[in-house]
Amino acid sequence: MATNVLICDDSSFARKQMARAIPLGWEVEIHFASDGLEGLEAIRQGKGEVVFLDLTMPNLDGYGVLEHIRREDLPAMVVVVSGDIQPDAQARVMNLGAMAFIKKPIDSAKTEAVLTEYGIMTKA
Amino acid sequence: MTTQIPLVTLSDDQRDCYQELTNVAMGQAADRLARLLDHYVVLPIPRVNLIEISDLRMAIEGARDGDAISAVCQGFIGNGIAGEALLLFNDTSYTDLARLAQYPAKLTHQDQLEMLMDISSLLIGACIQGIGEQLEIHFNQGHPVILGQHCDLKDILNVSHQKWRRTLAIEIHYTMEAVNVNCDLLLLFTEDSVQRLNKKIDYLLD
Amino acid sequence: MPNSNIDMGDIHWLMDILQNIDTGLVVLDKDYNIQLWNGFMDSHSGISPQLAKGRNLFKLFPDIPEQWFRQKAEPVFQLRTRTFTIWEQRPHLFHFKNYRPITGRATSMYQNTAIIPLESIDRSINHICVIIYDVTDAALAQQELHHQQQEIAKLTCVDHHTGLMALSAWQHQSARELAQCHRAPTPSTIAIMDLTGVNQLDDASLACVFGIVSRALRHTDMATLLDPNHLAVMLPASADSDVRFFIERIRKSISRKIPTLSQQHLATGIAQANPDFSHLNDWLQAAQHAMQQARQQQAEWISVHSSAAE
Repeated sequence: MATNVLICDDSSFARKQMARAIPLGWEVEIHFASDGLEGLEAIRQGKGEVVFLDLTMPNLDGYGVLEHIRREDLPAMVVVVSGDIQPDAQARVMNLGAMAFIKKPIDSAKTEAVLTEYGIMTKA
Repeated sequence: MTTQIPLVTLSDDQRDCYQELTNVAMGQAADRLARLLDHYVVLPIPRVNLIEISDLRMAIEGARDGDAISAVCQGFIGNGIAGEALLLFNDTSYTDLARLAQYPAKLTHQDQLEMLMDISSLLIGACIQGIGEQLEIHFNQGHPVILGQHCDLKDILNVSHQKWRRTLAIEIHYTMEAVNVNCDLLLLFTEDSVQRLNKKIDYLLD
Repeated sequence: MPNSNIDMGDIHWLMDILQNIDTGLVVLDKDYNIQLWNGFMDSHSGISPQLAKGRNLFKLFPDIPEQWFRQKAEPVFQLRTRTFTIWEQRPHLFHFKNYRPITGRATSMYQNTAIIPLESIDRSINHICVIIYDVTDAALAQQELHHQQQEIAKLTCVDHHTGLMALSAWQHQSARELAQCHRAPTPSTIAIMDLTGVNQLDDASLACVFGIVSRALRHTDMATLLDPNHLAVMLPASADSDVRFFIERIRKSISRKIPTLSQQHLATGIAQANPDFSHLNDWLQAAQHAMQQARQQQAEWISVHSSAAE
């Protein structure tokens, strides 16, 4: 069965780049959300088994989304994808329950390596 | 007479793309600043706009928020794309910044100048290079120029009475967590550069 | 940076250019040992590349402030960022003679520098390049311009009747000085002198008082007429105790020139800027209040505003 993957980023360009970076051969159904609130809603509907989450977003930012996921105990494996590459930002999202951190700009090699390392991707 | 170049435009997709490229570049800049000062830098959503000269006045006015500011500008050029980076530094930031940067508590005019130059080298350089790398442009940077320390707004704007109508401006407002440090970085491109930049952007968007 | 347009065979050209370019190029390793020293550096320092190579920068040039230069260069190694310094920060990095030793006005060369990271094959930064630009002409021109602007500013601020600073300009400068005091507490002081007694005499006496005050001012001090009966002086970087001496000196000069005017006619209040003054008006009121007290005390005719009393 295809994995439900949610790409949550306020930039349509970043969403497109992320979608392109998802490794070929990983059976996924991709969903999109353009801010934290939309993303959270999609996760509640089960569209985010794996979530690629941006941090800097309007309405509800990535930190907020992570807090909600934890509070509501939602079944989502979150990979934070952010341009905020300060060590502090990485430490914070890991504390909030993110599984991995991918630095922007996104590229497919980096993405695949992270997904494999954390056993997030299950290739068919 | 030179031929009039058409007024630059910016589609939603292009704006979004600029914003994302800036987001990544300013993240790299913030990371360097954070490591230099050992303090977390808050990252805002950058603003990308086509602005008229009067808007520039407003942008700077907004950055200033009534306080005295110090400003550094630095030109950059690469692949025929030219612009200027303008760092507007709120004078009230000096005290906390001095503490983080381990400068003496009692700042002389010279200390302030040193800090201003350190911060601007770092933020402007990282942002320009960050954007350049993503667009595969190598930007050369001119030497920074102090537009005025503790000067009035009108003194800064008097310097820039160039004949341009409308251009691309990227505004980044940096703040730091729990301390009073804030500065605005403005990236301004020349009118003809925007046409070239838009082409590069369109290529990325395809 | 890709240099696809350079063939290995052209390297000797590059070396020629490196030697002849009128800009200083110095490559340093992580221990600040000199790895490259071009013709510009050779000519101006008198130290040949053979001699410079491998030597430690700070040992070879002990007048380069090591801590300062490291502070600029370390981020280039650590963060791969370019650093720029301008002559306003420090007129020069290397003490070189001005290029125009005969007709030039400066004795030494003003320099801007750029410090750029040099990437090794494994992408790590083990070397930096310091580029030294001679900006002597630009620096001198700018200093000259700045000087003239100051002169013009002085001229436009002068009240032609009194020869003192115009009130609005004085207020503007004093407000800025107060803001400066809030940021870095330098003790700046305002003194207000009562001129009612002088005004009862003739115009010549008044002009004489203004002349004495103007001549007594240091370059940075500023005097103005708040109203016909009150003279205000703002003295940056002066504590109230220093200003007391200053006022006494002025009053002595005045009473020598105008014997009919006794000291009691020149009651003066002094107030040093303190963090409680949020506006220039607070500062002025404190000085005015002290002046009223001086008039009542009569013994000394000078009263100093005490911030502790508030």
